[in-house]
Amino acid sequence: MTRRLPRALVHLVGAIFVCLHLPVAVLVLYSFNASRYAAGWSGVTLEWYRRLLDRPDILRALRLSLEVASLSTILATLLGTLVALGLARGRFRGRSVTEGGLYLPIVTPEIIVGVAMLILFAALRVPLGVGTIVVAHVAFNIPFVAVVVLARLRGMDRSLEEAALVLGADEATAFRRVTLPLLAPGVLAGALLAFTLSLDDFVITFFVSGPGSTTLPVLVYSMVRRGIEPTINAVSAVLVFVTTLTIVAAERLAARRA
Amino acid sequence: MAGARRRLLSWFARRPAAGAWALLGPGLAWLTLFFAVPLAVLFGYSLMHRGTYGGVAPGFTLEHYRRFLDPLYLVVAGRTLWIALATTALCLLLGYPVAYAIARAGRWRNALLLLVVLPFWTSFLVRTYAMIVLLRDSGVINAVLLGLGLTSAPLDLLYTPGAVLAGLVYGYLPFMILPIYASLERLDLALLDAAEALGARAPARFWRVTLPLSLPGVAAGSLLVFIPALGAFLTPDLLGGAKTMMLGNLVQNQFGAARDWPFGAAISFALMGVVFVALLVWLRVRDAGEAA
Amino acid sequence: MFPDVPGSTQPRPPATAISRRDFVRATAAAGAAAGLAPALAGCDRSPRLNLYIWSDYLAPDTVPGFERETGIHVTVDTFESNEELAAKLLAGAQGYDVVVPSAYVLPGLVSQGLLLPIPSGSLARLDNIAPVFRGGAANPAPGFAVPYHWGISGIAWRKDKIPVLPATWGVFLDPAHAGPMTMMDDGREVLGAMLRLRGHSINSTEPAELEQARVDALAARPNLRAYVSAPVKGQLVSGDVWIAQLWNGDAAQARQEQADIAWLAPAEGAAIWTDFLAIPANAPNVREALAFIDHILRPDVDAAIATATGYGSCNAAATALLADPVPDPTPEEMERLEYMHDLGQATELFDRIWTEIKAG
Repeated sequence: MTRRLPRALVHLVGAIFVCLHLPVAVLVLYSFNASRYAAGWSGVTLEWYRRLLDRPDILRALRLSLEVASLSTILATLLGTLVALGLARGRFRGRSVTEGGLYLPIVTPEIIVGVAMLILFAALRVPLGVGTIVVAHVAFNIPFVAVVVLARLRGMDRSLEEAALVLGADEATAFRRVTLPLLAPGVLAGALLAFTLSLDDFVITFFVSGPGSTTLPVLVYSMVRRGIEPTINAVSAVLVFVTTLTIVAAERLAARRA
Repeated sequence: MAGARRRLLSWFARRPAAGAWALLGPGLAWLTLFFAVPLAVLFGYSLMHRGTYGGVAPGFTLEHYRRFLDPLYLVVAGRTLWIALATTALCLLLGYPVAYAIARAGRWRNALLLLVVLPFWTSFLVRTYAMIVLLRDSGVINAVLLGLGLTSAPLDLLYTPGAVLAGLVYGYLPFMILPIYASLERLDLALLDAAEALGARAPARFWRVTLPLSLPGVAAGSLLVFIPALGAFLTPDLLGGAKTMMLGNLVQNQFGAARDWPFGAAISFALMGVVFVALLVWLRVRDAGEAA
Repeated sequence: MFPDVPGSTQPRPPATAISRRDFVRATAAAGAAAGLAPALAGCDRSPRLNLYIWSDYLAPDTVPGFERETGIHVTVDTFESNEELAAKLLAGAQGYDVVVPSAYVLPGLVSQGLLLPIPSGSLARLDNIAPVFRGGAANPAPGFAVPYHWGISGIAWRKDKIPVLPATWGVFLDPAHAGPMTMMDDGREVLGAMLRLRGHSINSTEPAELEQARVDALAARPNLRAYVSAPVKGQLVSGDVWIAQLWNGDAAQARQEQADIAWLAPAEGAAIWTDFLAIPANAPNVREALAFIDHILRPDVDAAIATATGYGSCNAAATALLADPVPDPTPEEMERLEYMHDLGQATELFDRIWTEIKAG
């Protein structure tokens, strides 16, 4: 009976999920720890959450991070999906080289990308700010999205699309009604990856950000010398909590609609 | 309007290459302008002399590439390669079952996917410090082991190569899960049923049906883990106590305290060159296999 | 095809998946637009200042107080290391009005023309700076930067675990202490300590002396758990680390949470460092930058900062206001303390040695 997943598999996957969230559980726990330096447990406190309200810079950085991540994810997903389609469906000379070149941004050390982009922006006299950050994030996200969507495209059965064409649809309609929905899980996976990468990037972002455009990872990274205050734990915990609530709410909505 | 659309589409249909380039155009243009061009400048830097206080000084030289061939640096490169391979293998071992389970999870798929990436929406540093809290001598894991009586003294978990590996596997797991999920999701259960009906048992069904279908995802995931792992620097620093030096640390140092930008650029381009060539070979082989 | 089975993986009807995605995208785009709009609208003519400083290096009221008194709107951004600041300025970053580099990167920044000379007479309160920090080795770029705060690299330890610690860098070479011991993740600091141990200068570029330092550092490596800089505070407090190479200010902070943490500067001598306030050559708001630096030079303002950060202030007038200040180094102490210089071309040799030590 291939319907149910084997019990052992479910247990294994469950254990992996627990391990994935263990550090998150620890960091949420420590957001209530009275210890400033994440030493042992020294008592429960809401001080760090209270301090969050006194730190407009942290909240501003969080908002900026979310905006940059959303914007760059949309653009990168769009461009990356197009690139994947071109590579998977196209027949042209230099296809392997182009695909290989697509992997180069993934292997390039971030500090090289950061410094190189800063030199470019400085040479073009482009003021550093949110715009340059988004441009940089889109640039490093396109290959990741493209690779994930390609994985979906490769070996995807074209008979459904061909059937649509035979039944009278033109290429564009067949694409919209057949190919795109089939592609959707791959595009979603790519978008999730891009969003995650953008939200957590600090090396490249550090170099291409300007006055007033400090994102949360860059802010946190700069706190290392003094020791990261548990206020950051608090803001991460809030983010996790809000996102989890959103997931649950969205699932309830979907279930009700289905 | 519809007529114009039809004419446009048939124009592209007759020229498959043009169609492909139209799709690739915007993305590649973005990458060319904002990635390839700046990197070309830095490639130029790698061939120049080191500026005394950072940056470059004029003059052409290959000394930085030659310097990378020193055994000291090659050892670092070798260790990096080995750690990246181990990370990829472990991510594959752990990530595949997760991707498979999510792909079979029906309407919970999207929620589970989000749950996979959610930990990575917290700050990387805070997450890594949380791992330090877990792994250190007075940390959670040791406390549990001691409390259960499984060990009599704290285990040396933190600041070891094992901790670095654990940290890297943890950090790159979504990079493996998402592509494998993307290609597994189109697994038609009818195929598995048919295989069962034809007498195949579970292991055979996996090897003969599921795995081949997921190979593009496995390949993509492996590349998405292996390649960035080559450049990792923060995890070896924080979890390895800066005692396990990888190529990423070396490059980071050149732009940092060593203030030797050309050398840092040379190391990076040497790395990129090797990876690019290896990738090209692999892609050519794969494309030839697909065409056959 | 299998209507009775939940979780079937047939291609789902496109409606749910796409519309949710579209909804998310639309919201995100709207949110982004809403967020960017104020930024674009904020291009007004009111005086502003962009400050680029280390994290947690100000008192809570420093910037709000300045804004209240002068009406200049201040944007504060933070960076993590001197090298990254220098790399960013060198690569052409623009827009910052006041930056806070450490002493050893100043010569490089000045020689590349990245800093603005401070017009003499433009800072009324410059005389508040303690004489020991005014010139010579303490200020490698006089006229370009104003001393801010200072610290010393020494050894912090848990006196409840080790009641008496020999005041020498040799503790890192002593296998008796092996285990819960760390040194900084900084080549200059580690090799500097080993150089001082043998009586050499931390700025030495003599191959023989560096070779000895290399040998010593490699001998120390097996005794160390890790190379960690300031983040080792958490481990000191929790007791996972008993001996750590650490700056005095960081030790003072850790002591607030764990009273058994002590600190000393070894008898052979140690590195002293100073941070400075400087103005980048391409700063857009020079007048406001000078006003800010002059504001920081006020004794009450700097005293508040020193209280908040735990580091010593270079401002003698401010130190005089403090109840429990970190005292300025006496002339005898200065005999043993040394400022780190930029090593110029010798940095390459230094980095090779450091790579060897870290690569094991």
